Amino acid sequence: MERVAWVPDDVDEGLPSAARLYDYLLGGGHNFAADRELAAKFLKAQPNARNIARENRAFLRRSVLFMIESGVRQFLDLGSGIPTVGNVHEIAQKADPDAHVVYVDYEEVAVAHSKLLLENNDRATIVQADLTVPESILEHPDTRALLDFDRPIGVLTAGVFHFVSPAKEPKRIVAAYRDAVAPGSYLAISQFTADFMPEEMAGIVEVMKNSRDPMFPRSYDEILDLFEGCDVVEPGVVATPLWRPESVTAASDEPTRAGIYAGVGRKR
Amino acid sequence: MTPSGEGQQPHDARRQRRLALARAWAAAVADTTYVPMSPREIEEYLLALVDRIGDALSAEPFDPEPVAEIGTLLVRAHFSGPETLERTLDVLGRTLLFNPETGPVDRLAERVVTVLGAVASGYATAMRQDAFDQQEEIKRALLNAKNDVERVLKVSEARFRQVFATSAVGIAITDLTGRCVEANAALAEILATESSSLVGRQFDELLYATDTDGLHAIYRDLVDGVLDTYRERGRLRRDDGETAWVYLAVSVLRDADGNPTHHVTMVEDITELHLLADQLSHQALHDALTGLANRQYFASRLESALGSPAPITLYHLGLDAFSVVNHGLGHDVGDRLLKIVARRLEAAVQGERALVARISGDEFAVLVQHSPTTPSVLDMIRILQDELAEPVYLDDQGVAVSAGIGVVDQPPAGIEIADLLRAANSALRRAKANGKRQWSIYEQREDEAERVRSRLAAVLPGAWESGEISVAYQPMVRLTDGRIVGVEAVITWEHAEHGVVSPRDCMRLAEDTGLSLPIGLWALEAACGRAREWQDLFGDGAPTLWLRLTPLQSGDADLVGAVRQTLADTGLGPSAVRIALDTGAVLAELGDAADNLRVLADTGVGTALHEFGGAHQELGLLVESKTQALLLSPAVVREIVGNTPALRRALGEMVSVAHLAEGVVAAAGIDTAEQADRCRSIGVDLAQGAHFAPPLPPEQIPALLNGV
Ligand SMILES: C[S@@+](CC[C@H](N)C(=O)[O-])C[C@H]1O[C@@H](n2cnc3c(N)ncnc32)[C@H](O)[C@@H]1O
Repeated sequence: MERVAWVPDDVDEGLPSAARLYDYLLGGGHNFAADRELAAKFLKAQPNARNIARENRAFLRRSVLFMIESGVRQFLDLGSGIPTVGNVHEIAQKADPDAHVVYVDYEEVAVAHSKLLLENNDRATIVQADLTVPESILEHPDTRALLDFDRPIGVLTAGVFHFVSPAKEPKRIVAAYRDAVAPGSYLAISQFTADFMPEEMAGIVEVMKNSRDPMFPRSYDEILDLFEGCDVVEPGVVATPLWRPESVTAASDEPTRAGIYAGVGRKR
Repeated sequence: MTPSGEGQQPHDARRQRRLALARAWAAAVADTTYVPMSPREIEEYLLALVDRIGDALSAEPFDPEPVAEIGTLLVRAHFSGPETLERTLDVLGRTLLFNPETGPVDRLAERVVTVLGAVASGYATAMRQDAFDQQEEIKRALLNAKNDVERVLKVSEARFRQVFATSAVGIAITDLTGRCVEANAALAEILATESSSLVGRQFDELLYATDTDGLHAIYRDLVDGVLDTYRERGRLRRDDGETAWVYLAVSVLRDADGNPTHHVTMVEDITELHLLADQLSHQALHDALTGLANRQYFASRLESALGSPAPITLYHLGLDAFSVVNHGLGHDVGDRLLKIVARRLEAAVQGERALVARISGDEFAVLVQHSPTTPSVLDMIRILQDELAEPVYLDDQGVAVSAGIGVVDQPPAGIEIADLLRAANSALRRAKANGKRQWSIYEQREDEAERVRSRLAAVLPGAWESGEISVAYQPMVRLTDGRIVGVEAVITWEHAEHGVVSPRDCMRLAEDTGLSLPIGLWALEAACGRAREWQDLFGDGAPTLWLRLTPLQSGDADLVGAVRQTLADTGLGPSAVRIALDTGAVLAELGDAADNLRVLADTGVGTALHEFGGAHQELGLLVESKTQALLLSPAVVREIVGNTPALRRALGEMVSVAHLAEGVVAAAGIDTAEQADRCRSIGVDLAQGAHFAPPLPPEQIPALLNGV
């Protein structure tokens, strides 16, 4: 028979993806020529992009450690990306080998890669799903198998909500996850803003417009609003390097050059 | 404890120097790459490397070997940014050359260059290896990802294949022009064909013309995205010419860009379901033995036939002497006979828009909706009877079947089904009463009259009040010489729509509405007044005044008083009137009827009995009550004027008996000279009817009397 046309798209390494772009910016090698081409444009629009990526990744690490210190032992990492250095399960399981992590991404290569990495880890898994459809994740059997929703969960959304268009109602999406987890759970959000470097941000938006992951920066107020139902922990929603830096010198001279807001909230 | 013999102090100083170098190193590479460690961890990690380098520099003999691994350790910890090595070499070179580790070292610069070279080459090798590993990883990931997709695809394709091949649901995949690209075996089976012969065919061809347009619109709406899926009952043409009843579920297939490419039509065969439903409803609507429509179904079809403009005729057939067959030959034979009758009735109306039903044990009904070629009722009766008359051979016995037929021809559209069936039934009873193989047509005009009657009854009171009702006088003629010897006062009603309502109907209406007493009284007074006038005019030649009383009037307790009062008031002699009481009412002693008759007679008021049927007790009553006259009932009159001389002679006897009792015999409703002759021939004294004169207004009576 003819192959009929309802079959999903094939994996196309000719089409750059945010996951692989991010990997490249972090100095990773898990990327293809098309991703590096996009990265070059990205770097032209925002020369500080590597720093921004690094600071975002560092925030992710610090927020996970903060949650571990607060007693959280389970993590739901939405938009986890290509496993690169300092993955959530590595951070968490280094602190407590019994920590459980569910990664979520919708990009096939990121998912396949995560599967390889997690092959022998029965406390971490990856679910291929669209985070804007919370039920598909919250009700996924793998999620249910690994996470106990009666106990606090660290919900991580580092560097992903700028891929969610306003039309998808990010607030409703965040609320769905927040409502699903137990009180005392934590929510981490980091996302691009135009508050700091409007010109560069506009350039990034332009570059990403025709990729499979267009971007939507958000203002301070919009990001704070996503934390509804949570108490935002100190120091609030700030530029990534300013979020609980591990040493005074570690925070760079011009923190707002990080271009990304970050914050952590605790569900009431 | 450090096994060094140089003491605590120099060791601590060296530690501090090495720590400072590690910090400087960390700071130099900090923004070249992301290392998932805290700043402290980074320092510690680098400090261990500084130790290795320092120890190698000062070792005797000098051996750069332990340093070769540093590149790998850096890369493994992700100190692997594009500028990381450059910055590393810069920091290490400067520090190691100008802040010597441990006192003066032989050929320090040479050693430093050698060490840094080893770090750099180890780093390069590690980086190449790492890049290779990562590319391998990503390729494997990519491959896996593709395989996953492939697998999902293969699985779904295999699953689809399997579903497609084994499904009991018919599946057709058509392109946007409606051409069938793929069809499965189930669909082929539903359509009684081969799946290979479906491919390439237009799906349209399978549809019925009446459904095509609707479905086209639906297929279009699906393509336009107006509809997601469509599910409906429908019909498909089978290759063997039969119809397949199906559920159709249609959805659209789109390519990766969302453009519609195909339609998938799922076809679920519900023909059997349909047939079953048919069968069930058939069972509910049909007689199990004969397969004919049952009474309920017949009634509902009758109802819809009545609602349609084509006139209908209803034939109600009752088999003659069916119980004889049933009892004599057994039920099995009886059942077979009924089946045969059913088939014959169907044959009889073949070609007509007709429905044959078995509506009870041995009774059938035939509904015929008229077409221009429909036979007349009489022809149809003959056809039905001829069809049945063919002898039926049951167990070698020839049995002749016949039936009585009651017919209702062209019933009015508004008639109730129950009334219609009742009418047919009563016609059948009438036919059967006349013997075998008889038929009778229901006189729907009676019925029509009945409806008119009740309408009139409703408006009678108003009519009386507004003067539409008047008293008329119909002459009674002596048959021997044709002289008008009496007039009967009758009430007539000149109805705006219906014309003149006959006196008989008028009195029946009055009786039904309870108005007969006041109307009767009113008529009595009016008539007596007139009679008195005529008496004044004609003296002895004045006609006797007849008044026929209804049963209610006859039994009225006030009758005697009212009559006497009126006679007194008008000065009319009591013998000038004939108050005719209802024979039935008197015999049944309805109210005071019997007493009234006796008292009136006793007080000299002329009396009569009407509706006189000639029965024994009636004749007895006549003798007993000294009644002066009697008015024969219409039924008796019909027998007298009918074609049966024997009957007439018998009634002649009755008239003679009445004469013996000194009663005058009168007959009403005489419309022809012949009828008048026949009445006269058996001794009837007086006659009234259209042959002589209709009811007339009082003004015309004197002229009539004068004229004769
Ligand atoms: C920039 S990476 C962030 C990776 C990691 N969370 C971090 O902060 O280091 C964003 C990832 O989110 C994923 N992503 C974006 N939109 C997504 C969605 N709607 N559902 C699932 N994953 C999504 C992308 O595929 C990409 O891998």
